[in-house]
Amino acid sequence: MGARTGALLVGAFAIVAAACSSAASEDTAAPEPQPKAPAATLPFASPARHTGPQGRVGQFVVECGYSHSAPDDPIVHPGMSGMSHRHDFYGAVDVDASSTAQSLLGRDTTCDKLVDTAAYWHPTLYDHDEIVVPRKIAAYYRAAPGIAPTSVATMPLGLALVAGDPVASTPQAGEATGWTCGSASGLSDDPPECPDGAPLHLVLTFQDCWDGVHLESEDHQSHVTYSTDGSCPASHPVSIPQLTMSIGFPIRGGGHDLRLASGNIYSAHGDFFNAWDAAGLQREIDMCIHRGAVCDLASNRAEEFPFAAE
Amino acid sequence: MSVGTHRRRGAGVAIAIALCVVAAACSSSGDTVGSTGSTAGSGGGALDALQVPQEYPTIQAAVDAAEPGDLVLVDEGTYKEAVDVTTADLTIRGVDRNKVILDGEFELENGVRILETDGVVVENMTARNYLSNGFFWTGSDRYRGSYLTAYRNGDYGIYAFDAYHGQLDNSYGSGSPDAGFYIGECYRCDAVIDNVISEHNGLGYSGTNSGGDLYIINSVFRYNRAGIVPNSGSYELCYPGRESTIVGNIVHGNNNDESPAIDVALLAQGNGILLAGAVDTTVERNLVFDHDRTGIAAVPFPEEDANDVAPPASEHQTPCEETRDREIPVENQNPGLVLWHPTGNRFIGNVVSESGLADLASATLDADGVTTATLNNCFSDNVFSTTSPSNLEELAPCDATGNGGDFTAGAFDLVVLIADMAEAPPKDTYTKTPVPGDQPTMPDATTAPARKFEGPTKPDVASITVPAKPAG
Repeated sequence: MGARTGALLVGAFAIVAAACSSAASEDTAAPEPQPKAPAATLPFASPARHTGPQGRVGQFVVECGYSHSAPDDPIVHPGMSGMSHRHDFYGAVDVDASSTAQSLLGRDTTCDKLVDTAAYWHPTLYDHDEIVVPRKIAAYYRAAPGIAPTSVATMPLGLALVAGDPVASTPQAGEATGWTCGSASGLSDDPPECPDGAPLHLVLTFQDCWDGVHLESEDHQSHVTYSTDGSCPASHPVSIPQLTMSIGFPIRGGGHDLRLASGNIYSAHGDFFNAWDAAGLQREIDMCIHRGAVCDLASNRAEEFPFAAE
Repeated sequence: MSVGTHRRRGAGVAIAIALCVVAAACSSSGDTVGSTGSTAGSGGGALDALQVPQEYPTIQAAVDAAEPGDLVLVDEGTYKEAVDVTTADLTIRGVDRNKVILDGEFELENGVRILETDGVVVENMTARNYLSNGFFWTGSDRYRGSYLTAYRNGDYGIYAFDAYHGQLDNSYGSGSPDAGFYIGECYRCDAVIDNVISEHNGLGYSGTNSGGDLYIINSVFRYNRAGIVPNSGSYELCYPGRESTIVGNIVHGNNNDESPAIDVALLAQGNGILLAGAVDTTVERNLVFDHDRTGIAAVPFPEEDANDVAPPASEHQTPCEETRDREIPVENQNPGLVLWHPTGNRFIGNVVSESGLADLASATLDADGVTTATLNNCFSDNVFSTTSPSNLEELAPCDATGNGGDFTAGAFDLVVLIADMAEAPPKDTYTKTPVPGDQPTMPDATTAPARKFEGPTKPDVASITVPAKPAG
């Protein structure tokens, strides 16, 4: 399946660039998050990822069924209904262009932790121009590799994260995005041919270092970045959980002609809009990440074999 | 939040408080621990305990207030709580197994969750209607669950992961789509499942990558999709599953189409004791009957999205702690399909009947130079009618030389069997599984002091005989 190696150097660039973009907050303990940071000229950075079997570090995992699709994007085009390419949504139900974190709180959710009323979305996948209806996502929350688990702070309400480059038309550097089969952790730039019992997944890894001030930025990137060698840069000093979103599609075998609503398959990206119940998220961070406990596992054993029968 | 009815208070309170003072003064023996609470035991005994709801409105509040060694004693009632435990050597006990009920109402995740915390004992209560698990120890050593009832929980009933030196006894698990009882990711586990009942689950017992002084004994696994299913895979650490000891159990009727099921349970359906890629297992003196496919079988587990290759047999006895942080060589990181072959398993003295395909079976998918003939599984002194391959006890006896016969005669076509999988039930099936009747309650629940749990006593397996067939 064409494992991808290396290409992590871009992360270093990101830090240099980010360091120029915004001064670190003097007071990160109790920030009043601000709406948007100015855009910086950032390359799309790359995460250090957890690979191999689960269980080496504490984690909790939320599995969220597919909710709905709409040409809306409450992060990139807030309030502008129909302005976006088509997205598939998970988590809080009825998310649309006008959704705010406050409006999502307490909503029904497709997630198996009901305190997770955040919104997760990605561009719709097409196969030979037919819409591929996804099945669900697994959202892993962990300390990024090398980050001291007890240093991980919660994500503020309304934090907006975008992983991957929506306008890429050639393979993206690094491993913020990649394709795999089932729950295997090795990624490839191109969707591999997957067996019946382990269908195609798109894996997105979000930024784990926050500037401690802004919930968003004009380029949807500058307020956050990836940690490198187990630490967050001074510009983005607050460690937050590294969110990895694995999206399951009922695509197996060969003969597919895949593209995304945002462009070709190299434009893979995804969005996270935090509207977790704050106490619920804090509890999972305290109990699972801080204590190094494996609170949940996601595997290919529970729900993906039925793809074979579809 | 506790919203239960609480009827146990009454005339005994004053007397009990008086007794408590005496008891507390006398309770400093090495076995008895606990000093934070100071009020009466419930129901006429005298215990040094934190009382729920008399002193603390919720179990969580009492747990949070407790110190290591304390006893949290929970009175009758329905508690709509998800309790997290991070205090070591705590005992959490209900006064009545059938009337102390944690209820997740299909909104909360786990009834009681013990996180990286050692020595926590939970006993004599029920957890139902949780989205994930009834009782869950993760990363926690010296764990004990006794007189527990778990039903209608969305993943597992009673679940221990990456936990060592444990004991689950006198307990009941039903209505979970994964397993009623699960012990996973440990080697050597040093754990005992003794005298439990598991029914109406996807799997009666499941354990991935666990074993080593892991005993499943004297228990009943019935009316699940499949009965006892130790297994292997590289999506979590410590592979393969190895050295489980399964003795003296009654395993029957595990063909239950109405049980909830994850997909692996569908794949395993209709088998009593199914070693799915587990190795070096001991299966002795079990009574196994009424299965659509096999009574007792060793089969491969095909992992199509593996993260590593199967380790060589020479590494099977390496403790988990020595392998878990090992770098996986690049060439092994994305192997695609890995077949976990069931090797080195011993099946002795079981009584097996009424199996649709075979009472005893050994099979694998030929690959990696492994065939059914090279699995090194052995079968002796069993009572049975049919085997696959044919004449299995002559082909592969334990502690003797086989007759050199043909392992392909009467062998399974596993590809056909795997493809012929039962239909998946609706996801909410677990919410509608049978409500169990009252289960035996713990003796002396209101009078026995908390005792530090140091780990399970190694069972005298040799003394266990084949159980008698239950009436009816």
